[in-house]
Amino acid sequence: MNQQVQSVLSTTKSLCPVCFAQLPATRHREGDAIYLVKSCPEHGTFRTVIWRDAPVFENWQRPKIPSTPQKAFTQRDKGCPLDCGLCSNHKQHTCTALLEITKRCNLHCPVCFADTSQTDGPLDPDLETIEFWYDRVLEASGPCNIQISGGEPTVRKDLPDIIALGKRKGFPFLQLNTNGLQLAADPSYAMELKQAGLSSVFLQFDGTNEEVHRVLRGRNLCDIKEKAVHHCAQAELGIVLVPTLVPGVNIHEINAIVDFGVRNAPAVRGVHFQPVSYFGRYPTPPADRDRLTLPEVLAQLERQSNGRIQASWFAPPACEHALCSFHASFLIDEENRLRPLSSGQSACCSTSEQSPISAREGRQKSISFTARQWSHPLPMAKPPGAATPLDDLDRFLLRAKTHTFSISAMAFQDIWNLDLERVQGCCIHIVSPEGNLVPFCAYNITSSQGIALYR
Amino acid sequence: MTTFSFAQDTPWKCAACDQPLIPRKMSITYLKSEFHVELMACPQCNMTLVEEDLAVGKMFEVEQLLEDK
Repeated sequence: MNQQVQSVLSTTKSLCPVCFAQLPATRHREGDAIYLVKSCPEHGTFRTVIWRDAPVFENWQRPKIPSTPQKAFTQRDKGCPLDCGLCSNHKQHTCTALLEITKRCNLHCPVCFADTSQTDGPLDPDLETIEFWYDRVLEASGPCNIQISGGEPTVRKDLPDIIALGKRKGFPFLQLNTNGLQLAADPSYAMELKQAGLSSVFLQFDGTNEEVHRVLRGRNLCDIKEKAVHHCAQAELGIVLVPTLVPGVNIHEINAIVDFGVRNAPAVRGVHFQPVSYFGRYPTPPADRDRLTLPEVLAQLERQSNGRIQASWFAPPACEHALCSFHASFLIDEENRLRPLSSGQSACCSTSEQSPISAREGRQKSISFTARQWSHPLPMAKPPGAATPLDDLDRFLLRAKTHTFSISAMAFQDIWNLDLERVQGCCIHIVSPEGNLVPFCAYNITSSQGIALYR
Repeated sequence: MTTFSFAQDTPWKCAACDQPLIPRKMSITYLKSEFHVELMACPQCNMTLVEEDLAVGKMFEVEQLLEDK
């Protein structure tokens, strides 16, 4: 008993996986692992691993001074996260707003946030509705980054119009979340989207071998991904490779994915890993062995790259909650080696010396960093004239304008590891059909019976 | 990387030591990156002159590119 009390590191709140009741929760250490533990008087105790090994959990912090929404669309009533919209208690502004422009999809993935496997679905929102969504984002949060998502957005023939509309509304960075099928199939499609105002493609990319694709997506997509990358590069669209990491399926592919990205730079701007989270019906909770925590992704990056990438180069985020992500930026040198540019542990080495940063400022940094890093670099790169002598700074500037590269990961929450402190600090918001902004994880949460909280 | 010289004739003198400045090789570090350049500095106390156009020009651009989130 005494040992258990001592192992409690901090407290937060969560939900019962069965009945969605709000519950107190603790983060506690057991050996090298940290667990989120919560007990529902009716449905029992739930214990889920949230962190394993180094970097030390207690040091992985980036405290923020909260900043509440410019305009809250909902009021506090039932309590977090049942009043999302955002409510006046939310602690971070929108960095990226997601617009789900269709529920239709042209793949049938066993792993899908949006649970949209059918080709024929409900009617897509019309342009007028999407314009209303853009306006609501501006009203709630001001200009931010936009991700056009779904379903699979490219099934809509008017996707270029939707992108152009966002651009006209004043959003500087629009990104497309896609499986790449359409980009691969039609060589002129990427250019059409680029001309409409698209900056970046968030490309589902689970690995470099056939088997990984078959397990996660039901078919071999290797050639399709290569073609999609090639067509985006030709159109000068920035590409971010987005692997969903699933234990037992593609963890061993982490470094191969980074290598693929580096080989295809500067069009590929980075890799953004997403360890799997569990939505839908689960009569018994997913096992801890089926979870991959953020520090384990860092450990794999270091191990699989034989130390060419080091875990200590990565830092917790300035915008969202520290437990939600990590990132580092690199320069790809002339020999295609990754050189770290980030300050890494400087952001998180000592909890006692941490002074909180302003959430608003962190969000602004994140918006501009993401827009710069994830867009295609070529328009900015102007080599000096041949006669101009190059100094060290010139050489760096020339290379860095085209060959920076980011490696990051985001840990999405499901009903078992849901931490309301993280939800309240969330900066990635889905625009609901009625035009409210809901934190990504809250929007996707389902109970163990498969009942959705918001969808 | 090789050293590049920003050495130049300059009317500036070191106020503390009353010395004319001379070219000095040095490294500039920002976050994790190091750059080797030659700048004008005081031979006595090593106080270094970074002219405005360098500070708000190239150096500022480098800082922006290295700026993390």
